[in-house]
Amino acid sequence: MQRIPVAEREDWKETAVEHGFDFHSIDGDPYWDESAYYRFTLRQIEDDLEEPVEELENLCFAVVERAVSDEDVLRRLAIPKNYWSYIQESWQRQEKNFYGRMDFSYDGTGPAKLLEYNADTPTALYESSIFQWVWLEQAMERNLIPEGCDQFNSLHERIVEALGRFGIDGPLHLACASGSEEDSGTVAYLEDCARQAGLQTVLMKIEDIGIDPAGRFTDTEDHVIDTVFKLYPWEWLLAEDFARHIPESSTLFIEPVWKSILSNKGLLALMWEMFEGHPNLLPTFFADDPKAASLGDTYVRKPLYSREGQNIELVCDGQAETIHPGDYGAEGHIVQAFHALPDFTGNYPMAGCWLVASAAAGMCIREDRSLVTGDDARFIPHVILD
Amino acid sequence: MKRSKSISLLAMSASVVALTACEEPAVDAAVFENLSQCLADQNVERAQCEAEYKSAKDQHAQVAPKYQSKQDCEADFGSGQCETAPYQTQSGGSVFMPLMMGYMMGSMLSGRTGVASQPLYRSTSDPNNFRTADNRKVGNTIGRTQVARSTSRAPSMKSSTVSRGGFGARARSFGSVAG
Repeated sequence: MQRIPVAEREDWKETAVEHGFDFHSIDGDPYWDESAYYRFTLRQIEDDLEEPVEELENLCFAVVERAVSDEDVLRRLAIPKNYWSYIQESWQRQEKNFYGRMDFSYDGTGPAKLLEYNADTPTALYESSIFQWVWLEQAMERNLIPEGCDQFNSLHERIVEALGRFGIDGPLHLACASGSEEDSGTVAYLEDCARQAGLQTVLMKIEDIGIDPAGRFTDTEDHVIDTVFKLYPWEWLLAEDFARHIPESSTLFIEPVWKSILSNKGLLALMWEMFEGHPNLLPTFFADDPKAASLGDTYVRKPLYSREGQNIELVCDGQAETIHPGDYGAEGHIVQAFHALPDFTGNYPMAGCWLVASAAAGMCIREDRSLVTGDDARFIPHVILD
Repeated sequence: MKRSKSISLLAMSASVVALTACEEPAVDAAVFENLSQCLADQNVERAQCEAEYKSAKDQHAQVAPKYQSKQDCEADFGSGQCETAPYQTQSGGSVFMPLMMGYMMGSMLSGRTGVASQPLYRSTSDPNNFRTADNRKVGNTIGRTQVARSTSRAPSMKSSTVSRGGFGARARSFGSVAG
């Protein structure tokens, strides 16, 4: 694994606009950054990332299997009791899951360590799937990078294929909250994929979802929503006004609600409890577990629910530091052994491995100048070249 | 190879928009105002007329556009052209929908493939044409005809929304979901 500086394509911003990549810069700062790329060997990708990702996914399923039959686990995950049976039924009905991203600390040697699993609403999808792919093709064509490079990225093909396998009859609604260009961009990309999979689509805002006299969800045209892809966290949905209508609504949600068990950082504590010593896992405990003391006075404290690295505390020799402040943490915390992201001349890359329908399907590298990857991290493309 | 063999974007990308602008293929269908009109058609068997009519009639209440006032419904479909739907709002109010003005079925001559039998409506803005419950234009031909493939799809369920805005509160306080 190397970080290699490279010339940018002069026209990359125009290319981005042409490909519908509207959020390549955030608040004026570049988010897409092609001034460098990461180079991996095929063995690093296959043995250290691809294979462990699918193995970890199976361990995750074992955690869900346990959680749905153990109310104590659901309580520790701070999942509202009113929805326990809805979650259990969703798992027992084997509702299909769509995609997710596991984030690792990986430096090219030794086992990649799972930091967290964004199983419910991961973004960075479009830029991983499309723009990173376009960069690879053009960078080779223009001799910016060596010939014969490959990329861990079959996302686009897998996404279109997976959407076609949901058995969706009638339109697929896709919804996200208004106000985030990144969220809208992700949903617009998935809508495009759904159409390529032969589906009819309706794009809408989560705020515009309505409820009808029979307790079914409706879109702005008053059509009943049979299937919705929602880029909106389950823990938020379940805490809002319309939550009480969800179990009886007959709407099929993508991701299914059982994924709320995986998008919860308590997952990492449960995985360690069940598979202690697994090479890809870090010692992790619920913060109120007496065993948490075994981590000593250097560890990372994370809210059960947190996004964009917010409210994650690095505790070093007992001194706590929060790098990205936020409003998360009311539901409880986990503590995780500190395992620093690798340092490439002051850049700290996190390797996000994509799963589509539970199969490893690609990777994105996001770099931050701090040890906690936040929403100001930059997306750096990667290549595979032996 | 570890990457997609090809990628394509239909709507997001500026360069391939032309792909989506292609003319839609047409499919064979048959349209009748009522059951007796179908029974009089030499090309259709009695049993099929009856079965497809019943199917359209059964769907009518589910797929027809819904209104919470008769006035609003009549504004779209004409005076006397609306009826009470078999639903009530949560507060016990009535729900209104247009009368079924005809039905569409797959053409028997083409093996009836792909056309979902369904009720048809006529709106005041386009009274000469039949429209599907999803407001797709069917035309004014009685008997055998052709419709765009998208028009032949099963209509979506229509309801009447009693309230909105029950989701989204947390996005307003937390911002993007980016995980």
